[in-house]
Amino acid sequence: MLFGKLLHATVARARVVKVTVPELPEGYFYVDAKDVPGDNNVNIVLDDTPVFCRETVEYIGEPIAMLCGPEEKIVESLRDACLVEYEELEPVLDLRRATQSFFDYAYGHGDVEKAFAEADKIYDEEFETGYQEQAYLEPQGMMAQPESDGRMFVHGSTQCIFYIRNAVARVLGCGPEGVHIMQDVTGGAFGGKEAFPSILGSQVAVAAHKCGKPVRCVFDRREDMEYSSKRHPSLCRYRVAVKSGRITAMDIDVIFNAGAYSTLSAVVLQRGIIASPGIYQVPNLHIRGRAVKTNTTPSGAYRGFGAPQTFFAVEMMMDHIARDLGVDSLAFKEAHCSKQGDFTSTRGRYHDPVPIPAMIEELDKVCNYREKRKAYGLPQSGRFRRGIGMSLLFHGAGFTGSGERDIIKAVAKLRKYKDGTVEILAASGDIGQGVRTTFSKIVAHELNLPMDRIICNHPDTARVADSGPTVASRSIMVVGELLRRAAEKLRREWVDGEEQEVEEHYRHPDYLIPFDLSTVTGDAYPTYAWAVNAIEVEVDTLTGFIRVLGAYGSFDVGTPIDENIVIGQLEGGFLQGIGYSSMEKMDYDAKGRIRNHSFSDYLIPTAQDVPNLQCILHVEKFPYGPYGAKGAGELPLVGAPAAFLEAVEQAMGGKSLHHIPFTAEDVLSVIEKEGI
Amino acid sequence: MVNGVVPSTLKEALEILAERDIIPYAGGTDLMVENRKNAEYLFLNKIPELRQIRVDEEEIRIGAAVTFTEALADPNVPMLMKEAVSRIAAPAIRNAGTFGGNLGNGSAKADTVVVEFAADAKLRLVSAIGERIVNVDGFYLGRKKLDLRKDELIAEVLLPKHGLDRYAYEKVGGRNALAISRVSFAGVFDSADGRITKLSAAFGAVADTVLRYKDLEAMLIGKTFEEAKHLKPEYLKAYDERMMLTKGRVSAEYRKQVCMNLLDAFLSKFGI
Amino acid sequence: MDAIQFVLNGRQVTYTGSAADRLLDVLREIFRCTSVKCGCKEGECGACSVLINHTLYNSCCVAMGAVEGADVVTLEGFRETERFAVLEKAFGSVSAVQCGFCTPGMLLAAEALLSKNPHPDEEKIREGFSGNLCRCTGYNAIVNAVKQAAEEGSGLW
Repeated sequence: MLFGKLLHATVARARVVKVTVPELPEGYFYVDAKDVPGDNNVNIVLDDTPVFCRETVEYIGEPIAMLCGPEEKIVESLRDACLVEYEELEPVLDLRRATQSFFDYAYGHGDVEKAFAEADKIYDEEFETGYQEQAYLEPQGMMAQPESDGRMFVHGSTQCIFYIRNAVARVLGCGPEGVHIMQDVTGGAFGGKEAFPSILGSQVAVAAHKCGKPVRCVFDRREDMEYSSKRHPSLCRYRVAVKSGRITAMDIDVIFNAGAYSTLSAVVLQRGIIASPGIYQVPNLHIRGRAVKTNTTPSGAYRGFGAPQTFFAVEMMMDHIARDLGVDSLAFKEAHCSKQGDFTSTRGRYHDPVPIPAMIEELDKVCNYREKRKAYGLPQSGRFRRGIGMSLLFHGAGFTGSGERDIIKAVAKLRKYKDGTVEILAASGDIGQGVRTTFSKIVAHELNLPMDRIICNHPDTARVADSGPTVASRSIMVVGELLRRAAEKLRREWVDGEEQEVEEHYRHPDYLIPFDLSTVTGDAYPTYAWAVNAIEVEVDTLTGFIRVLGAYGSFDVGTPIDENIVIGQLEGGFLQGIGYSSMEKMDYDAKGRIRNHSFSDYLIPTAQDVPNLQCILHVEKFPYGPYGAKGAGELPLVGAPAAFLEAVEQAMGGKSLHHIPFTAEDVLSVIEKEGI
Repeated sequence: MVNGVVPSTLKEALEILAERDIIPYAGGTDLMVENRKNAEYLFLNKIPELRQIRVDEEEIRIGAAVTFTEALADPNVPMLMKEAVSRIAAPAIRNAGTFGGNLGNGSAKADTVVVEFAADAKLRLVSAIGERIVNVDGFYLGRKKLDLRKDELIAEVLLPKHGLDRYAYEKVGGRNALAISRVSFAGVFDSADGRITKLSAAFGAVADTVLRYKDLEAMLIGKTFEEAKHLKPEYLKAYDERMMLTKGRVSAEYRKQVCMNLLDAFLSKFGI
Repeated sequence: MDAIQFVLNGRQVTYTGSAADRLLDVLREIFRCTSVKCGCKEGECGACSVLINHTLYNSCCVAMGAVEGADVVTLEGFRETERFAVLEKAFGSVSAVQCGFCTPGMLLAAEALLSKNPHPDEEKIREGFSGNLCRCTGYNAIVNAVKQAAEEGSGLW
């Protein structure tokens, strides 16, 4: 086995004039774009991400080559001895100055111009969010092994084995049968191992192809934090027309910083803009969304997938308008809240119940939101000031638009062996979210078998059906339902002592309004998971430190198949959302280099940061999910930023704040400028 | 042993140190992060003389290889020091990290060092040819620059036995645990017969070394509370003008503001 | 000079490499104790936690020379104990394990905490693994697991 180490670009934008490689000892290799047997482009959405750089590098960290060899330290020193000559070009680092949009969508309805012309008052505000690093505890790592039958076997830490299969097959210039991909035990992902392993997997596959030996590349923490994908920084501008105390129009402009290559930005942006009017009814609406190119690390998937940025913006906007109108923020939001049967922002329908009003009441009982909101709204004095905030939100379960029907077309299989054990053959990978347990529970329940009769191994593309990627809060709702149906079928057809196999294909609910991306209309999601979040803080006016006194969430993810697992998803996601809002700060310097590349520079919450974190369930069953289950993975992260910042606003005496992460430094800067 | 020596007495350690270029290794928590190539270490964890906390007439003497966890469990260690130590990182780091290492690393972010500045601690430095005692503020010459010869080891931190009961300690980090100080503050106060007899204020993590200005403290020492209150704005202004903060990930402006706020609150806490 | 001798999971072992090498690397690569995870190499995540003389350390911040003569326990050794069985059951029953990468460190942090304080309150439990980052769970389940283990294993610690 050889160790592979990437040679990363050290400038943000340049023509690579020459790479001088040191003399390589026997058994050591230098692998670059020239060694790619197929296409030097990684299949993601658009195929613009190179395996190894083309004639230019577009961000600091872009892989130029991989050095491979049997001794890790020697490989490292050879890599460090490579001399790259650059002809530097002017990079674009600031998303406000970006001129190139990878994607540019616009949609809306009604007469926005007219509504603004007739408005009593017009609000115009900007909201910004920063990077968020997935910070899975296990860094990225992939390994490629040439097999004796000529196939390339790639395995490692990943969410989406079939994505990697497609990418590697293209890069090696073979058909999908020429490769097979397996998920190893994966130490956390959160979206960070959705598309990125397709890139790293392609790199090790090319290296293994050239070296004729297995090649492994495991990132260290710094490499991972600097160069792997993270949540898109965003800038959202909201113009809102209000007449007689009600919102009559919104004109929303969403910009996501996609970084140097487009990777998943198209779909992240789609989810972001669809969420941008929040859960509210807006009679006249115009939305534009762009994912712009900058010479920075390509942004990618992270739990919530574009929605945390826009839900933050719209919830803050609603809060600021309410404050200006002199009405209670929650009451103002409730007054605009969508109901079952209403149109969505894309002219689809909320076909299922919208349980927000009941969830507000249930959460109020847990945390005394209304009472505290009132009490903390009175003038405060002293060093420590308190506040509480609340956010209302949904998360569309499954792929955006008709992706499940048109692109993924999920298939899942069950294989029954002669001894009566049943194996689940689906592509969903366990990344800590407990999908193996939950799948097994569904199948065991449906077949009335004990759990130990069900086998659910880490998936290998050579064995399992393509049930789609492990993303978009879809595994239980979509794949779980396929497995439930498959198990139902197997139960009916069960013959003792025989080997049997059953297969189920995705069925799109027939009542859905077809989604058209060119106009961004139709049902964007088969259904929605709902959440109400409240966060209570105490601000230290001397140091700016924000202590989270309590974080409370009510979540409707449909039927919890394993309640411990679901609560674990909710608590973990909620805490990530609080980190995103407060301490998780990552930025780059004037040269485009990410500065926060270690766990001491990029802080994530410890066990002592939010000791009081409570999640409760509200169950609205979804008829097309297994036993009524909907998507759960992403929802808990999405609402934290707005609840957090609303709380900070209140603690600071009713200031209007506009960005996250909102740090101690920001607190003191506001106090300095505006007083408290 | 390759690239390392584990002496069992201080004498043995000092002889080795006098002979060759070798890096003293105490807890390892800073040293191992530096990841020095081809380093040779002198392991100090098995030297009894460095692992004791002793009390004599005037002083509490904390051995350089005493860990933070050990100090927290010792009844003789002053509360001010315990408060600072209890907020260092997390248990595993406190189990490894030592008082000598915190000093020897030369960082102004070291949480025990800001307390040592405020408490007028002394350090006992030893070598094969003798020993000397230095004031902690004189020990720090600049960023990562110490008044410590290559052949010397830090043997003990000497804290005054009395006069540390009235204090203020603040650590400002980015989160509740596992936090590196962005600003740390230690202040010690005393008064007798209505007059201020002791007032020290030390700021960590804001400059190349811990900052303490004895000449500014002198503005208030010997004054009555009324006089001190009257002088307070002038005193704060003098700090504001004097304190020059180094740039960092967290802005100098912010850290300066925090320093001024904490200094003000320290005085207020003791009625000034 | 002599090689480094220490006890690893109850067995006397010898290391002939450099005293400056990281305990983490040696445990994983030489002694194949792969429960010891590398998350950061700077003492900031706790994934590489081990017990040295019954005390919790980050093995990434320990040089081999410092373990001369010491008793080192990783999860591979700890899992043979009755205490582990109690912790394992508790972690499983409350779903305190998600991706599992932090779990070996969490279990050793729990062992270190309970050895000192067999009946810790929630605050002490949280402090006990405040140096062990978990990105998955939000920590509540881990707190509950340690509480449950302390109750069910009463007398073991």
